[in-house]
Amino acid sequence: MKMLAPQEIVDVLKEAAGDAFKEARCTEWAEGVKGNKSRQVWIRLDRKALRPALKRLIEIHFPHLGVISCTDLGEEVELLYHLFVYYGVPHSEIMVTLAVSLPKTDLSIPTITDLIPGALVSEREKQEMMGIRVENIPDGRRMFLPDDFPEGVYPWRKDATGIPSDMVKELWTTGRENLKPPEGAGATEEEKKE
Amino acid sequence: MKTLEIKKTAPYTTQIGPAHPALKEPVMFTFELEGERIRKADFAPGKAHRGIEWMGLRRNCVQIVYLAERICGICGITHSLSFCRAIEQVAQIQVSNRAHYIRTIVGELERIHSHLLWAGVAAHELGFDSAFYLAWRVRENVMDLLEYLTGNRVHYAIIQIGGVRRDITPDMVPKIEESLKFFEGVYGKLASIFLDDTTIQMRCRDCGVLTPEEALKLCPVGPTARASGVRKDVRVDHPYAAYADLELQPVTPDQLTGEIRGDVYDRIIVRLLEVKQSIGIIRQCLAQMPDGPILAVPKMALLLAQLKKAEGEAVGRHEAPRGEVMHYVRMGKQESPVAWKVKASSYSNYMSWVPMLEGEQVADIPIIVASIDPCISCTDRVTIVGDQGAQVWTKEELHRLSVEKTRQLQLG
Amino acid sequence: MNIGNLIMVVVGTGAMALFGIVAGLFYMGIDRVLVARMQARIGPPLRQPFIDMAKLMTKQNIVPANAIPWLFNAAPLVALASSISIMLYIPLGSFAPIFRGYGDLILIVYLLVIPALAMVVGGLASGSPYATIGAQREMVTMISYELPLATTIIAFAWKYAQLGLDNPFSLATVAATPIWSQVGPLGFVGCLLLLVTMILVTPGELGKIPFDTPEAETELAGGLLVEYSGRNLALFYLSLGVKAIVLTAVVVALFFPYNLSSYLAMSALPARLVDGAFFLVKIFVIMFFSVSLIRIAMARFRITQVVDVYWKYLGALSLVGLILVMVDSFIR
Repeated sequence: MKMLAPQEIVDVLKEAAGDAFKEARCTEWAEGVKGNKSRQVWIRLDRKALRPALKRLIEIHFPHLGVISCTDLGEEVELLYHLFVYYGVPHSEIMVTLAVSLPKTDLSIPTITDLIPGALVSEREKQEMMGIRVENIPDGRRMFLPDDFPEGVYPWRKDATGIPSDMVKELWTTGRENLKPPEGAGATEEEKKE
Repeated sequence: MKTLEIKKTAPYTTQIGPAHPALKEPVMFTFELEGERIRKADFAPGKAHRGIEWMGLRRNCVQIVYLAERICGICGITHSLSFCRAIEQVAQIQVSNRAHYIRTIVGELERIHSHLLWAGVAAHELGFDSAFYLAWRVRENVMDLLEYLTGNRVHYAIIQIGGVRRDITPDMVPKIEESLKFFEGVYGKLASIFLDDTTIQMRCRDCGVLTPEEALKLCPVGPTARASGVRKDVRVDHPYAAYADLELQPVTPDQLTGEIRGDVYDRIIVRLLEVKQSIGIIRQCLAQMPDGPILAVPKMALLLAQLKKAEGEAVGRHEAPRGEVMHYVRMGKQESPVAWKVKASSYSNYMSWVPMLEGEQVADIPIIVASIDPCISCTDRVTIVGDQGAQVWTKEELHRLSVEKTRQLQLG
Repeated sequence: MNIGNLIMVVVGTGAMALFGIVAGLFYMGIDRVLVARMQARIGPPLRQPFIDMAKLMTKQNIVPANAIPWLFNAAPLVALASSISIMLYIPLGSFAPIFRGYGDLILIVYLLVIPALAMVVGGLASGSPYATIGAQREMVTMISYELPLATTIIAFAWKYAQLGLDNPFSLATVAATPIWSQVGPLGFVGCLLLLVTMILVTPGELGKIPFDTPEAETELAGGLLVEYSGRNLALFYLSLGVKAIVLTAVVVALFFPYNLSSYLAMSALPARLVDGAFFLVKIFVIMFFSVSLIRIAMARFRITQVVDVYWKYLGALSLVGLILVMVDSFIR
């Protein structure tokens, strides 16, 4: 197996993504005495290039999907597909993260379960936790949230559709007054501004 | 997926869980059964979801280290290590090599402890209680050693952003070596019980098979993937901590039997061989351990100030006993992270339950479910012990007792 | 039967029931302590089964909503009553059975089925899917161990019929003329095989590891007994305890009917006491080999493997034993 360098992977995926390619960066991080480096590739794309780029990556080496991470950036939600290629050969694994930004007005993304069936758990989780709509998902049920969890509440959101304060149980209200946190503690920066 | 022959009799469905003796933690299974044979399997986790990521986004990074440690009761170092590695990459904090080696030693002890725990659970699921007691008795020794090194049996609280909180001093080495010798002695006994016993072979051979193709496509990690022949081990693939200096090979079952079948038995082999591998890694780390400080930024206030200025994103990974754990962290010049996504190893392994279970017998459900070593993370933390009468131990008393016990261990 | 006899039978039955229950629980305690020691544990005190019983008796007796109550409640009673009634046909030490002259080996084989059947009925009546699967497994297990058990009994019956004794199927006859003294070297080997078969049928009958598939704690959460609680559960435990005594007593009566007193030339009362004690020791030895020792050294079988073990391996073993016994008596 001929192994591509991180920059070569970027070039190949850039070609596959075409005009939907936004930016890419390669990072390295060394630990230990010998200074062996772990290598990461971060590629930001438009939604329409996700599947072509992934297909191209599968041609290089069938990637292991770690997880799909998700960030609420205010107006947008960013999905990050953490993929790993070249595992099995000591110290040569490369992490390829494909990041896709979605506007909150249209949170839909095509499924990748036909390419990597193991993505199902992660896609189901993104649907319930962030309110993403995964198109053509083979099994759209909830994963971790209970069935009686209210519709339209998405725990990872940082806007009005996030967890409302009346759903949060404060431990100190069970009679341990001394554990009451100071005012404003335990709120995110956005919540503090409100 | 396996194709199941469809018969014309009406299959009936039954549920196992969320609370069932076969399941050590709450998860719900629904099975479509035909007599004793499973036609379809489905699972629903989330019976004990605690919203830890949500809590983390409302805390500062040092607080999250301790919160992350409590994600799992068994992988005490895994989550805090992964989180710290992510934060260190974002904030460009260089950890000393001595701290890397200490992290590795504790990580490997945890692997021995977790695999022994698993061996006991698996034996119990098979109805082989003698092996269960033996494995857990040995595990007790590992936990004592961990307590001796870190001060705690379960949540070690040894990892900190920028290093570790306690050193392994030269006077501790003989005690570690003594324990390693003990594990090596017991390893032979355990291996002969688990690998040579006829009844265990009868129950585990060709049971709960995960084909190499499924092991690739369903993204399982750790021993589950390796037992099906996918050579994937974060310690080998991804140079980090002291593993970056070691020459390791992923453990696959063909190293012992010469073939890969991907069944429950192969998963037993992989875990047992990994115990042996871990003993070797600890020895090597002790021999090669460099000198140096153990913490990059010893002052907490300084560390917090530095973290508040950090900006960027990174992924921290560690090979937990159950497989790859990864933490994605994004910082944005705030006290708490902008994003924190935790991926535990069982999260990746869930999907492989379905092809393993379908077509097998009801009797095999417990061992197949246990074979991926699921860690569903329990919620409850009960500290009331009723002992001859209605004596209730308070948290303070329990804390005092455990501190006394640790002192005793450390004084010898 | 006159009044005096009737009273004797009633009193004897009561005494046997008491003996069966107390000894059953006592041996259960011994088994638990021994197993614990062999697994390097301390284990419960010897009287733990008695404590358990006392506690269960005070616990609430819950009948599930979708159970059939009369059947659900009757099953444990039938199980205990039938286990005790087998006691009446079995010689204990030098005490002859109370119903001597009424029942024989074949009857005992049939009676042994009843407690198991009662458990099946109770399981099916409890309306739980786990209990239903358990009941199905129990039936399959029963059918499985019946083959080696029946073959062993047939070997004995055939041999004693061959000897031309009166009442050849009676246990009293077997006890009076031990099998080992009636066979040559080939038959001796055959009898050894039959003994091994009986020792391995016992854990199946008692639902112990590796044949505890119908209860399978980790799979079926207790299977047959999953819905039982309080008094009903206590009755099932008692019937299992009594059944353990019955089964081992049958093995003792078939294979080791020897008494110490005949060698020591003792007077009547001490002789009975010594024989009684010796009998308890014999039961202990059988119990140790067939229950405790097997149960610590093995994992649980699947139900298909239970059938395989009993039909293929033990079935073949007992048939070879039977054939050896037959060949032996033809060539003598």
